[in-house]
Amino acid sequence: MNWLSMVANRLIWFVPTLLGLLAIVFTLSRVVPIDPAVLVAGENASREQVQQVRERFGFDKPLPVQFFNYVRDVAEGNLGTSLFTQQPIVDDLATRLPATLELTVVAVLIAALIGIPLGVFCGLNRNSWMDHVLRVVTVSCLAVASFWFAMQLQFLFSMKLGWLPLSGRIEGFPPETVTGLMVVDALIAGDTEILGSALRHIALPALTLALPAAATVVRFTRNGVIGVINSPSVAYQTAMGFPRRVIVWKYVLRMALTATVTQLGLIFGILLAGAVVVETVFDWPGLGAYAVRSILQSDYNAVMGFTLCTGALFVLINLIVDMLQAAIDPRGAA
Amino acid sequence: MTTTRRDALKTVLGSVALSSVGWESASAQAGGKFVYANNSPYDNLDPHTIFDTARAATRFNLYDGLYRWVDNPPKMIPWLAESHTVSEDGKAYTFKLRKDAKFHDGKPVTAEDVVYSIERMIALKKGAASLYLDAIKPGTTKAPDAHTVVFNLVQPSAIFLTTVPDILVVNSALVKANEKSGDWAEPWLARNEAGSGSYALRRHDPAVGWTARRFPEHFAGWTGQPFDDLEFRTVLETNTRVLGLIRGDYQGADGYLPYDQIQRLRQSPNVQIIEQESMRVFILALNNSKPLMNNANFRRALAYAFDYDGFIANIMKGSVNRNPGPNPNNIWGTPAGLKGYSYDLDKAREELKKVTEPLRPITINALAGFSESEQAATLFQNTLRQIGVEVVVEVSPWSVVSGRMRNANTQADIVPLWKSTYYVDPNNWVGELYGTRYHGTRTFSYYSNPEFDKRLDRALVSGDQEERRKLYEEMTQMVNDDAAGIFVYNTKWYGPYSSKVEGIRFSPVSNGQDIRWASLKR
Amino acid sequence: MIALLKRFARDRAALLGASLLALLVIAAIFAPLLAPYPNDVVDFHIQRRLLPPTAEALFGTDRMGSDIFSRILFGARITLTLAAIAVGSALVIGVPIGLIAGYYQSWISDALMRVAEIFLAVPQIVLAIAIAQTLGPSIENVILALSLTYWPFWARLVYAETRSMRNEVFVESAVALGASPWRVIVLHILPNIASPIIVRTSIGMGATILTAATLGFLGLGAPPPTPEWGRMIAESREYLPEAWWYALAPGIAIFLTVLGFNLFGDGLRDILDPRTRRSL
Repeated sequence: MNWLSMVANRLIWFVPTLLGLLAIVFTLSRVVPIDPAVLVAGENASREQVQQVRERFGFDKPLPVQFFNYVRDVAEGNLGTSLFTQQPIVDDLATRLPATLELTVVAVLIAALIGIPLGVFCGLNRNSWMDHVLRVVTVSCLAVASFWFAMQLQFLFSMKLGWLPLSGRIEGFPPETVTGLMVVDALIAGDTEILGSALRHIALPALTLALPAAATVVRFTRNGVIGVINSPSVAYQTAMGFPRRVIVWKYVLRMALTATVTQLGLIFGILLAGAVVVETVFDWPGLGAYAVRSILQSDYNAVMGFTLCTGALFVLINLIVDMLQAAIDPRGAA
Repeated sequence: MTTTRRDALKTVLGSVALSSVGWESASAQAGGKFVYANNSPYDNLDPHTIFDTARAATRFNLYDGLYRWVDNPPKMIPWLAESHTVSEDGKAYTFKLRKDAKFHDGKPVTAEDVVYSIERMIALKKGAASLYLDAIKPGTTKAPDAHTVVFNLVQPSAIFLTTVPDILVVNSALVKANEKSGDWAEPWLARNEAGSGSYALRRHDPAVGWTARRFPEHFAGWTGQPFDDLEFRTVLETNTRVLGLIRGDYQGADGYLPYDQIQRLRQSPNVQIIEQESMRVFILALNNSKPLMNNANFRRALAYAFDYDGFIANIMKGSVNRNPGPNPNNIWGTPAGLKGYSYDLDKAREELKKVTEPLRPITINALAGFSESEQAATLFQNTLRQIGVEVVVEVSPWSVVSGRMRNANTQADIVPLWKSTYYVDPNNWVGELYGTRYHGTRTFSYYSNPEFDKRLDRALVSGDQEERRKLYEEMTQMVNDDAAGIFVYNTKWYGPYSSKVEGIRFSPVSNGQDIRWASLKR
Repeated sequence: MIALLKRFARDRAALLGASLLALLVIAAIFAPLLAPYPNDVVDFHIQRRLLPPTAEALFGTDRMGSDIFSRILFGARITLTLAAIAVGSALVIGVPIGLIAGYYQSWISDALMRVAEIFLAVPQIVLAIAIAQTLGPSIENVILALSLTYWPFWARLVYAETRSMRNEVFVESAVALGASPWRVIVLHILPNIASPIIVRTSIGMGATILTAATLGFLGLGAPPPTPEWGRMIAESREYLPEAWWYALAPGIAIFLTVLGFNLFGDGLRDILDPRTRRSL
């Protein structure tokens, strides 16, 4: 299967996959123990009013019909209205997406800055005592419950030492929204006070989020480096008399890049799953916290909107990663 | 009868006339910002659909009602309305509006706005609307002139006047301009403000909170050093609120923190704790309609099986007082010397022996995020097991619990929660909790007792204060004898504020969130 | 076999993992004997709430005055059973689907794998939270939510492995000799792909325990007073920083358990499945 047909195949399945996902979440939202009509109608609605709502929103129709109507709305870009904020889901998601994006990007940066050098080091010094120590450390990072780690960070840095804020994204209201990314917006506004506040707020959540991702990066980079060192081309060039150091660095740099790119899908998955928990612990006003809150409150429109949004993002990222991977190493594409 | 009714009204309004002066004269020296850390998100600012205490700050600071509750014990003072009269048949309430009140856009507050507001409330049927749905029909409220508004009730009501502060007035021209296809601008008012209140909204973000700027032209005038800027920020995590207060980042936070946190705050020089006996009763609401739960012997067994003293002494650390009945101790309507139930497992077993039907597992649905509710549930589960009653505990967020309470079949057997003050009358507690007429709306109990309902019907229309007192006392006694609910304590309000703030005016209705009275210490 | 065991024993990390798991299993089985206060799972002593660690209560007491150490031991039972059943049922659903879809190359295999892909299109935790919330909080529902969201992972893994086996000479010759598809799948393919499945099972146990603890932390797990570790950590939040011990013990318990499964899995991989490199 060549590159183009792989992409085409993925694109063809993009919509059915999302539809399937919606069907699952839709079914879940309709078997919840609480009547959605009661939730929409509000706390004091009479029985008749609940019935009116049921008819107006089509809750009285058979499930497949309801699902068809929902999908038709989604196709028109209408994800419905949140039961609790009374706002269109699209707007809610749009205002929260930048917060998650900012957190994720900072976490990826931290993971890469820590993970790649350590991974290269371990690969070059395989079976040294540092390699063994780092192996235990990385396995440990993947074994820590992120919510617990987050609480310990809060305990130490916020409660005991008082260096960093406990939670939230900024003190009070953000500067004028340009990009929605707090750090960038503060830079644009030239407001160092807000910039400092934003950085202090993002430190702990980003660190928590970066921890398992960094461990993953270390291990992939390490294995990649070992693969490069043992590869025939390195052996050949060594035989040709090139200094080993030069060869290693030349290949290692390329390899580190490839390893990061190929694992981006996996790392993104780790980060997105992590964001759900980390945002909840740190009151970070992003998509993850929104999803948890919506699920707990049975705000089914919001839950479906979130699932659709992350599902699309996830499928898209994996597609891009596969395309990149295929471009870098056409043999691996299948 | 009519004379006695007027007397009763006089007693309610006696304080109105007295307290209406004093803060209109001196001009204010303003400054400073008041940041309040709130425990739930301000996802909706609509004063007509939001009625819970957690999001009440918008109601008191951005909007005005006809009258207003202040102080403790609570008294009602004139606000947008200067006075009122009641017709002989007790059905028509005529309010005279003051002429100098303005909305934030400069438009004067008129009777038309009041009419639009009440119509909007009863049309949307959310929030405070349940107080009026039975009493006021659409289209019956009239504005004979710009400063007179007449409410024509379906039947006389003893509690209508106490609910008048909840008729918050919106700028009808502004709201109408934002209506879309008969939606009463519900989505728009969720994110915007159209009030005349002491503060005018500046920014709102459901994920962050809201800020407001002082409205200098507010009719009530300003004295002292009021705050120029308000910020009500959503800070979900208790620890963040507490640490923020200690550090001085926040000037105030909600006064119903767990007592462990209050003790921690007391040690900080930056924080003062204002202590008040509130009107917020912690109850284990029993769903009286379910099988087994509809057996009074079984309910009495339950009532004898809760460790009231242990709960208050250890989990509440003695910070509250036992409240033996549904009404808070500090309001009338409870018979003198009502003993309530005590923790006595032997008596519980005796009552249980009289239950002939087979036992079944009982569900307790605790409120997520309220550790006292959860701890009461687990503690109760433990003591009930000792008398042979199996219990399943479930924990759900308030929205889910309240959704389930809408229906007798879906409400759990037992729900540990608080009944707060919405209006200051025993009907807010014993009446709403146990009257059949409140099934599906404001009840937590699905209790049905024709004798009770007969008294309630009378108490709701009677204008005779002594008669009403007697009726509510009888109703309370019935609820007690039937063990229709389990009543634990009346909450003390420990309002944590910055030690630089003074003049916080607490009432059990506004819970210290009505910031216009507060000022910075000089 | 003995050679394999020896190799495993030389791997100190894997040995550490194995010992941690042994410790955990012992704690779980003998919880009623080991716990100083075996009744503290349901019995409370509200006069002794939130006491720091002492000789009487090794890890301190919680908000209901129960001994945290005893509750941790009983929590091990819940954690192990929960993860074992969840991963077990995910395997029972996922492996046959992967085998069938991988062996038969028809539209059915495509359809089956598409369904799996749908589940894999969002992080497992998101769907698990949604399912757990819908079903209502209880241990059984957590298990159900985890199995329902975890089988696609196995289906995909087994599918890929089966696909690569399908063209191996020994499989093709077995087919040519007239072996029935079931025989080929069960006797020829399954044994050859068992290694990656076993290795992944160990690591999957660790991941499942983390997910289950997260559900407990968010309040979607077992109701109070179940001594579930995630729930215990959630309860402790309100009492920080004073009751620092409250979250410490359950957090470390989760950590050691997951670490045990991960190290053990890594060790298994080295001896069972030398083809794949140590990765996750």
